[in-house]
Amino acid sequence: MSTLNTEPLLGIPAAGGGLMRRLNVVTAAGGGLVLALVGWAIARHFMLADDFGPDQVTVITMVCWAVGFMAGIGAFNGPIGWLRGRDLTSEDELFLAGKDQGIRRYFRFTTDHKVVGIQYLVLTMVLFGVGGAMAMLIRTNLISPNSNFLSPQQYNAIVGLHGLIMVIATIIMVTGPFGNFIMPLMIGARDMAFPRLNALSLWMIVAAVPILLSATFLGGIPTGWSGYAPLADQAPPGMDAFLMTIIIFAISSAVAGANITTTVLTMRARGMTWNRTPIFIYGVVASVGLAIPAFPMFMASQVLLGLDRTMGARFYIASGGGSPWLYANLFWLMGHPEVYVILIPAIAALMELTAVFSRKPLFSFNTAVLGIVGISVLSVMVWAHHMYVSGWAPNLNGAFMLTTEMISIPTGMLFLVILGTIWRGRIWTRLPMMSTYAMLWNFIIGGITGLYLSDVPVDYALHGSMFVTAHFHYTLMGAGLTGAIGALAYWFPKMTGRMLDERFGFISFWLVQIGFNVTFMGMFAVGLAGQPRRVYTYDNLLATGNFVSTMGAYAIGIGMLFLLYAVFSSWRHGELAPSNPWGSKTLEWTVPNPVPLENFEVLPVVTSDAYGYGEEPFEPFEGPPRPDKLEPAHVGSSADEDSTEGARP
Amino acid sequence: MSETEPVTVQIRTWWQRVEIKRIVWTWLGLTVLLTIFALTVPTRLMGPPASPTMRAVESTMTVFSVAASAVMALVLAIAVYSLIGWRSRGSEPPIGDGPPIRGNGRVTVAWIAVSTGLTMFALIWGLGEMQSLSADASTPNAMVVNVTGQQWVWTFSYPQNGNVESEQLYLPVNRPVVFHVTSKDVIHSFWVVQMGIKIDANPGEVTKTGVVPDRLGTFDVRCAELCGLLHAHMETQAHVVSSSNFAAWITAQERRAS
Amino acid sequence: MPTIGVYLRASGVVAAGVLVVVLAGTALARAGTTPGLLSATIKGTAQTPVGVLPHAFMELATYPDSLAGEHGPGGGSQPDWVSYGPTTNLSVPAHALVTITIKQYDSGGTITNPYFATVHGTVDGTETVNGKTVTDVNSDAVGHTFTVHALPTNQDPLFVSVPLPALPDNAKPAPGSNYPNPNVVTFSFVTAGPGNYVWNCEYPCGDGYVDFGGAMSTRGYMSGTLTVA
Repeated sequence: MSTLNTEPLLGIPAAGGGLMRRLNVVTAAGGGLVLALVGWAIARHFMLADDFGPDQVTVITMVCWAVGFMAGIGAFNGPIGWLRGRDLTSEDELFLAGKDQGIRRYFRFTTDHKVVGIQYLVLTMVLFGVGGAMAMLIRTNLISPNSNFLSPQQYNAIVGLHGLIMVIATIIMVTGPFGNFIMPLMIGARDMAFPRLNALSLWMIVAAVPILLSATFLGGIPTGWSGYAPLADQAPPGMDAFLMTIIIFAISSAVAGANITTTVLTMRARGMTWNRTPIFIYGVVASVGLAIPAFPMFMASQVLLGLDRTMGARFYIASGGGSPWLYANLFWLMGHPEVYVILIPAIAALMELTAVFSRKPLFSFNTAVLGIVGISVLSVMVWAHHMYVSGWAPNLNGAFMLTTEMISIPTGMLFLVILGTIWRGRIWTRLPMMSTYAMLWNFIIGGITGLYLSDVPVDYALHGSMFVTAHFHYTLMGAGLTGAIGALAYWFPKMTGRMLDERFGFISFWLVQIGFNVTFMGMFAVGLAGQPRRVYTYDNLLATGNFVSTMGAYAIGIGMLFLLYAVFSSWRHGELAPSNPWGSKTLEWTVPNPVPLENFEVLPVVTSDAYGYGEEPFEPFEGPPRPDKLEPAHVGSSADEDSTEGARP
Repeated sequence: MSETEPVTVQIRTWWQRVEIKRIVWTWLGLTVLLTIFALTVPTRLMGPPASPTMRAVESTMTVFSVAASAVMALVLAIAVYSLIGWRSRGSEPPIGDGPPIRGNGRVTVAWIAVSTGLTMFALIWGLGEMQSLSADASTPNAMVVNVTGQQWVWTFSYPQNGNVESEQLYLPVNRPVVFHVTSKDVIHSFWVVQMGIKIDANPGEVTKTGVVPDRLGTFDVRCAELCGLLHAHMETQAHVVSSSNFAAWITAQERRAS
Repeated sequence: MPTIGVYLRASGVVAAGVLVVVLAGTALARAGTTPGLLSATIKGTAQTPVGVLPHAFMELATYPDSLAGEHGPGGGSQPDWVSYGPTTNLSVPAHALVTITIKQYDSGGTITNPYFATVHGTVDGTETVNGKTVTDVNSDAVGHTFTVHALPTNQDPLFVSVPLPALPDNAKPAPGSNYPNPNVVTFSFVTAGPGNYVWNCEYPCGDGYVDFGGAMSTRGYMSGTLTVA
C-alpha cells in the first residue's frame, strides 16, 4: 500500500484540506437550505406581481438549493482550488477516496467507485421505496370506481411523481450500483477515469430528490411524467419542481455517461481486447452511449418549458407562434432511447450471470454485441411511434412503423443468446438465475405487446389506454427491474461481503413475479376494454379488472418489502461470502472480500475472455456457505448452542 | 453433428436426441394453447366492433397473436425444459461445466432469418391495413363533423347540417364521416372506443380522422390524453342511428337553437 | 433451520412498510378534504315534462375572490382566486326537479367556446337572468358557467350547462357589501337516477395558459362534485 505522502504534487502547493474534511450530507443540506432561503427572500422582493411571479420565485429558490447543496457537499472544492492554483495532495486524495474513514465515507463526497456504487444502491432503493408507495396509493384509488380515496388533483400528481421517480430509479438501477462498483473491477482497473465526476453525478441526484418531492407542496403536477405542454404551461408551481429535477438529472447523467465511457475505452486491463470484454460492459456502455444524445433533448424540452412558465415565452403555445408538437418531439427523442437505457444494462447483467449459472460460455458473443448495438442504433430512429395519433406527421407513420418493428430483430438476438447459453447447460437455480427465467417470461409478453402497439391502426385503438401502461411495465419492470434484482443477488456478495438471504429472496421473488403478472395482465384486459390511462375513476364494467390489478399490486408491495428485509438483514449479519461464491470467471471475483481500496495489488493481464466454461479444466469451487453450517457462528440468534456441525470455513 | 453425412441423416440423428423430441412436443402443445388464447381472448375483451376500422384492428390483434404464439411457445419450451432436463439439483454448486458451445452458425442464421421474416410479415400486414383504411377515410362525400375538445367537455358541430351543435355525437349508420378535431386549450385525444379511431385534439391545429360507423347503437367517446383535473370525466356518447332518425335529430336541434 | 425470530423480524419489516403506506395514504386522503356538503332542500312538488316530481331548491354564488366560499373568511391559501360559494360539494335528490339560483358577483369577458354561452340541459332550454327568460347570453360578457357532466357509463347521463352573465368591469360595490349587486340566474333541470357527477366552469377565469389554470383547475374553486342521491 502507498505510504501517506504529504509532499505537494508537482510542486503545486497543497489545498487546504481542513474544510474538505468537514463536509458531508448534513452540511450539504444545510448549505442548500440556507442558500434557498436567501434566494427565495431576494426573489420574492423583486418578483413581478403577474402570472410568472410564483414560477420565477420557485425556480430561483430551487436553483439556489441545488447550488448550496453541491457547495455544502464539497463538489466545488476542486474547481475552486484550481482557480487558486492549487490541487489535492495525495493524502487529500486518499481522504477523498474514503481511506480509513469507516462508515462516514458513505455520507461524503467520496470518490472511491465502490463507495459511489453503494451510495447509488441505497439511493435507488430509496427511490423505489417512495415510487412504490405511490404505486400502492394509485392502485388503492383504483380499487373500485369512485373510490373517493384521493381527489383528482392528488391522483394526477401522484401518477406523475410515481412515473418520474420510477423512470429515474430504473435509469440508475443497474449502471449506478453495478456500473460503478463492479464495472472497474470487471475490466481490471483501480477506479473510474474521473473519480470526482463520479461522486458529482451521484450527489446531483441526491440534490434533485427533495426538489422533486417538494412538488407535493406546490400543487402537484397535472401532466403525468411526460409533462406534455401546453398543459404543463398551465400547471401550478409543482411543475417547476418537475422541470428543475429533470434539468439536474440530465446533467448528472451526462457526467456519469462521460465517466463510464472514458473508463471503458481507456482503462481496460492489458490484454482485454474488445473480444475479451464481458458482455455486461457492452451493456453499460451502450446504455450511457444512448443517454448522452437523449437526455440533453429532455433537458432542452424542460428549459424551454421553464422559459414559457417564467418569462412568457411561447415555445409550446400555438397562439403565440409555438407548437405543442415541439414538446412532444423533444420529449420522445429522449423518451424512446431512454427505455433502452433502462433495459439494456439489465439484460446485459442477466446475460452475464446466465453464463455463470449455466456453466457454459455465452452463446454467440458476437450476436449479443450485435443485438445490443442494433437496438441502440435503431432506438434513436423510432421516437414518433409515440406520436402516431398526434396528427403531427401522419405521412411518416408508416416509416416509424418500419423502424419500430425492426427493433424486434436485434431484441430477438438477445433472446437467442440467453436461450443458447441455457441450452444443455448445468443450470444452477440460485436466486440470480431465477431472474433470468422471470425476464424471459415477462419480456416476451412485453415485446409482443409492443409489436401490437407498433402497428399503426392498432395503435389508433390502444394509444392512451391502460394497454400501453401494462406494456411498458412488462418491459421496464418485468424485464428491467427483474434484471436489476438478479444483478443485485449476483453481485451482493462482492459488494457487501455477505450472501443475500435466499429464503426471503425467494419469497420475495415469487410474490413479486406472481403479483406483477396478476396486476398487469388485469391491466391489459381493461385497456383492451377501453379504459384510458391516467384516470382516477372509470366505467363500472371495468371494476373487476381493476380490483384484480390492485390485489396483484399489494402482492408486489409485500414482496418488495420482503426483499428489503432480505437486503437489510443480510447486509448486517448475513453469511460471510467467499470471494467467488458463484465460480464465475470474470475479474471482479478475483479480488478478496472486502475489496481493498485500490482493488488489485497488481493489475491483471488478461489472456482470454471470461466465458471459458467447459474449455478450461473445471475447478470445483466451494460455493456459498450453507446456512446450517454457520448457525453456531451467528451472534444473537437463538441458534442451537450445542451444535458441533463444522466450523466457519 | 457430422458435416459429411447427408442432411436427412443429420435431421434424423438430431430428432433422436431426447431433449429435442421433448422440447418440440412441449413447443407444439404450448403453441396450441396460446393459439386458442389468441383466437378468443383479445377480441372478446375489445368487444363487438362498430366500424370496419375496428374490425381490422381486431383481426390484426388476432393474427399477430397467433403468429406470436409459436414464438412465445418456443421460448417457454426451452426455458421450461432447461429447468427439468438440464438442472443441477440442489443448492450446492454444479460439479462440472456444461459443453463449451460458443455458438451455432446454422441456428443463429435461422433464428435471425425467421425473426426478420415475421417482422416483414407484420410490416406488410400493417401497411396493407393502413392503405385500406386511409382509402376509407378520404371518401369525397363524407359527412363532416367538427369536434372541439376543451377542459373537460367534448362538443360537436355539424357544418353541413345547419351548424347544429351538441355535446353528444349523433351519426347516421353506414355513412362515411370525417372528424375535424381541434382543442381550445391543451392537448386532448378524441377516441371513439368501439369504432377504433383516435386522433389528438391540438390547440391551434385541426387534425382529421375518418370512419364508417356500420353498427347501430350507443358507443363511448373518451379523451385519451391526460388533460388536467377532470380528464377521467371527459367522456360522452356516440349514437349511431338510422339516416331518418339522424335527420329527425338534426331538425329537432335546429328547432331548439332558433 | 432458521428460527421463528427470523420470520418475525421479516414480518415486522413488511408490517412497518405497510403501515408507512397506510399512514401516507390516510394523511393524503384527509388533506384533500372534501368541503362541507350542501344539499338541495325539497319544498313540495312540481309538474315536469316527465310527470309530477319533488321540487328541490339550492342557492349558489360566484365571487371574484375566495373570501365568501368554502375557504373561510381568510380565503384560504389563494384568496384572490375566483370561487363558487358557499361550497362546491353539492347534493340533489334523484328523480326530482332541481331549481338552482346562482348570484353572479364577478366580471368576465369573451368566452372561448360560444357553445357554452347558450343554455343546455334545462327543462325548457332556458334560464332566467334577473327575472328575464333567455336561451343564451352575450358571448362577450360571460362571467362564469355552471356545467354539469360525468362518465355516462356508470349512471344516467346528465348534462346541464348554463352561462352566468358578467357584471361590468366598473361595477361598484353595493352599500353594506364587498361586492356589487349580482346578476341573479335561475334555472331548473330534471334529475334521473342516482349517480356521481362533476361540474366545472367553462369560462376561462383562472391563471396560466389560456386562463384555465389556477382556480379553474382546482377543486373547491371553479370545479366541484354533484351527487344525485
